[in-house]
Amino acid sequence: MTPALLGNLSVALALAFSLLGLALALLAYLQGDGRFLKGAKALAPLTLLSALAAFVALEWALLTHDFSLAYVARNHALQDPLWVTLVTPWAALEGSILLWGLLQTLYTFVASRKPLDPWRASVVLAVLFGVQVFFFGVMATIASPFQTLPNPPADGTGPNPLLQDHWMMAVHPVLMYLGFVGLSVPYAYAVAAMVTRRYQSWVEETRWWTLIAWGFLTAGKVAGMWWSYEVLGWGGYWAWDPVENASFIPWLLATAFLHTAYVQQARGAFKAWNFAFVTLAFSATLLGTFLTRSGVIQSVHAFAEGPVGPAFLGFFLLSTALGLGLLSRVSREVRDVAVFHPFSREGALLLGAFFFSGWALVVLLGTFYPLLVEAFAGAKVSVGAPFFNQVSAPIGAGLLLLMGVGPLLPWRRPREEVFRNLYLLFAALALGTLLGLLRGYTLGASLAVGLFLYNTLAVALLFAEGMRARRLAGLSPWSFLENRRRVGSLLVHFAVALMALAIAFSQTYRLEAEKTLYRGQAWEVAGVRMAFQGVRALDEGRRFAVEARLSTDRFGEVRPRLHFYPQMNSPLPSPKVIYTPGNDYYFLLMDFDREKGEWASVRLIVTPMVFWIWVAGVLMALGTLYILWPASRPEAAREVSPA
Amino acid sequence: MRAWLWVLVVAFLAGIFWWGMQRNPRELPSVLAKERRPAPDFTLPLLPPYRAAWGEAFRLGDYLGKGPIVLNFWASWCYPACYEEAPVLEAAWRKHKDRVLFVGVNTQDKEPEALRFIAQFGLTFPQVFDPRGRVGVDYGMYGVPETFFIDGEGRVYARHAGAIDEATLEGYLKELRP
Amino acid sequence: MRLLLLLLSLWLPALAQEGPPPDLSPEVFRIARELRCPVCQGESAAESNSGVAVEMRRLIAEMLEEGKTEAEIKAFFVERYGEWILYEPPRRGVTLWVWVLPVVGLFLLGLGLFAYFRPRRPLPKELLEEAERRLKEPPA
Repeated sequence: MTPALLGNLSVALALAFSLLGLALALLAYLQGDGRFLKGAKALAPLTLLSALAAFVALEWALLTHDFSLAYVARNHALQDPLWVTLVTPWAALEGSILLWGLLQTLYTFVASRKPLDPWRASVVLAVLFGVQVFFFGVMATIASPFQTLPNPPADGTGPNPLLQDHWMMAVHPVLMYLGFVGLSVPYAYAVAAMVTRRYQSWVEETRWWTLIAWGFLTAGKVAGMWWSYEVLGWGGYWAWDPVENASFIPWLLATAFLHTAYVQQARGAFKAWNFAFVTLAFSATLLGTFLTRSGVIQSVHAFAEGPVGPAFLGFFLLSTALGLGLLSRVSREVRDVAVFHPFSREGALLLGAFFFSGWALVVLLGTFYPLLVEAFAGAKVSVGAPFFNQVSAPIGAGLLLLMGVGPLLPWRRPREEVFRNLYLLFAALALGTLLGLLRGYTLGASLAVGLFLYNTLAVALLFAEGMRARRLAGLSPWSFLENRRRVGSLLVHFAVALMALAIAFSQTYRLEAEKTLYRGQAWEVAGVRMAFQGVRALDEGRRFAVEARLSTDRFGEVRPRLHFYPQMNSPLPSPKVIYTPGNDYYFLLMDFDREKGEWASVRLIVTPMVFWIWVAGVLMALGTLYILWPASRPEAAREVSPA
Repeated sequence: MRAWLWVLVVAFLAGIFWWGMQRNPRELPSVLAKERRPAPDFTLPLLPPYRAAWGEAFRLGDYLGKGPIVLNFWASWCYPACYEEAPVLEAAWRKHKDRVLFVGVNTQDKEPEALRFIAQFGLTFPQVFDPRGRVGVDYGMYGVPETFFIDGEGRVYARHAGAIDEATLEGYLKELRP
Repeated sequence: MRLLLLLLSLWLPALAQEGPPPDLSPEVFRIARELRCPVCQGESAAESNSGVAVEMRRLIAEMLEEGKTEAEIKAFFVERYGEWILYEPPRRGVTLWVWVLPVVGLFLLGLGLFAYFRPRRPLPKELLEEAERRLKEPPA
């Protein structure tokens, strides 16, 4: 038994079991026979085991340096450290599809254990098995991680050095895939709801799935931003690169869905919107993979590979058509009877969902625009960060406004007492903006301050209101903390406001400069004084490193590096980042005197408030966890309205 | 009716994607070639082996308007494309040297590497040295190798990005000759 | 240590080392951020480390020293590379649409919301109550 044999066998088994599961689930629905359903459910753990076996086979091949596998030869090298070897399965295309497939089987298995009426259970399983069939089908045919080489090399090239430089490589892709795969379950439930015409309960039943998937997506995005910041050496965390956009779009749609789902749980409205949003959110994950795997859009990190692109495109079209087609079929029955006033919580949430999906559409437009223009006008244009930044700023501002005011608005229609709070909020907004302008900040940065104050005040007001309601109901005001959903979402909203403020300032006030320093020469820039002391070279096996020693007045000795990998033409700068609550100081060694080590060219990037972006990310994770944490006393977690 | 609309939209988008996947997203048009602009002049030092025949420095302006010129940007680290086209260029130079001037510009490279490359292929057409790549920017260069075809009036006629093969090279030369 | 550096310089990529690179002020980066790198086309000329981007930054520094304005510097590059060298798609010609479409979208959104919330003929009281009751189905 070789890894290749085990791998191919496992993939084939996983595909076969998934096909069988799909067939049985469909039969269960069409024939109404419970035995088919039992059979389908039994196949879920089998697909999980075979996927796991395939994954283990790949790890086995990597750990034993089995270069007869094409994937290992292309992505692994003998001198890779152990942790790099362990995460190599998701360093490239075929392995990441395997990881995706594995996670999908896991979720299918967990979903199959959940009690559900047989009609819907069969449709849910059919959809989930269908997704598995796609992934394992792709693996079995066009993107096999277990393809063998006739003449195996003695050593491989190792993974892309950009992926080796930082431990985040181990974490970020897994988080993203957990998020993507997590959306498949609400999608499956939605399809089942539309097929069986049971339109209400699915949202409540998939509540945790949606939140967990959203949580992973958010964590994955923030982790990716941090990785980009620490590794890529340009001092930024977001470049509106097509790959980033490809995973941003599902996040936006998932956030829209999260909020409209809440309305359906609480008020029964927005059924049609929820079906649409969950379909689009799930399909967007496939669209993203299509974008980055087909070379359609030129990107910094799109690795174009053959027929994988069209396969994902086809499946994207299929899943979108299924969801939206079913929706149009049942649209008459799920239409909203609009018994709410636009200026109500429903109205705010709906508007917010539109903003999110509008944002997703604009990002999609910008990403595809060069392609469209070339198709119709034959001209070559480029759409880069400036476009996305300028378009996102007003949308983001609108969302920040809605985020503050939305939870304060009552359901159905506005009430008198709410207006007092609204005046307070807008006063905070105006005050914050004014303060910013007085301190000499730009209009954009001042508005960011205003919006931050506005949202902080909104969160404080909501806390006060919640505690007051508890007190009036005869309970301890601190028992409000047990309303996990409320408190958790308030924390997340605050974190979003904080992140927006940090992003606004870091974009507006970024400063970078480059200077060549001779040994002993000092440079005073942006409030930092540094002196170049010398360079030294280090042999680290898989790479050479050249380290510059800079003595600074504030941070001690700082040592940015240049990493030289054999397989790369030019060296990779490995920055040294000093995080402070005020500014981030990002030291880069750009070049050095190769002959005598007498001079070094150093770039310093000073960006304010980047530290708070990561803090906000952590707060978002904490807030989500808080919501998910099982309540010790479920009765205490309910919403308590003032007497 | 609405269903047909969706089908049309989907088909339209799918068609665009399909077309998109056929083309090379990295190809870019050359402004100079599109507008037949006069070729930007430059003065660059010649590499040592050519100084005897062509002087210390080479000024393109001395040769503009006197006949077609083939200007080739290359570097020793551009593997394999520059290595593939070097023999093609040398052969064409030997064939057409009385009618067409071939000039090579070694860009963003180190002199010893460049000399090694020249020796490896026995290049006899004049080679100039542009370590900074300044002239490349003037020509709107975005990668190596790139070959510019300048017509008899000193205007840029065409730009070929990537390694050039014999057929394409001869094709352009035929179009350039009066 | 010197030997190591020497060894390094032998198999290192052939980057031209004609002496130390020039100093780049924050202004250079600000302008470079608005130009695209021709080689690594997703990145701006400020972020990219490709040879062309390095040369572009150097040129920007030199032009700034000569006293050229930002507009003149951008025009210099547009003249050589075409409009696409500008990172921000210009607000005219074929890229005008990429700016217009979001505004059009916003307008359509406004229309849609208006249509959605348009006051309809109010339902009779009994039906309204029934509708409200049905909105809150007990969970299945």
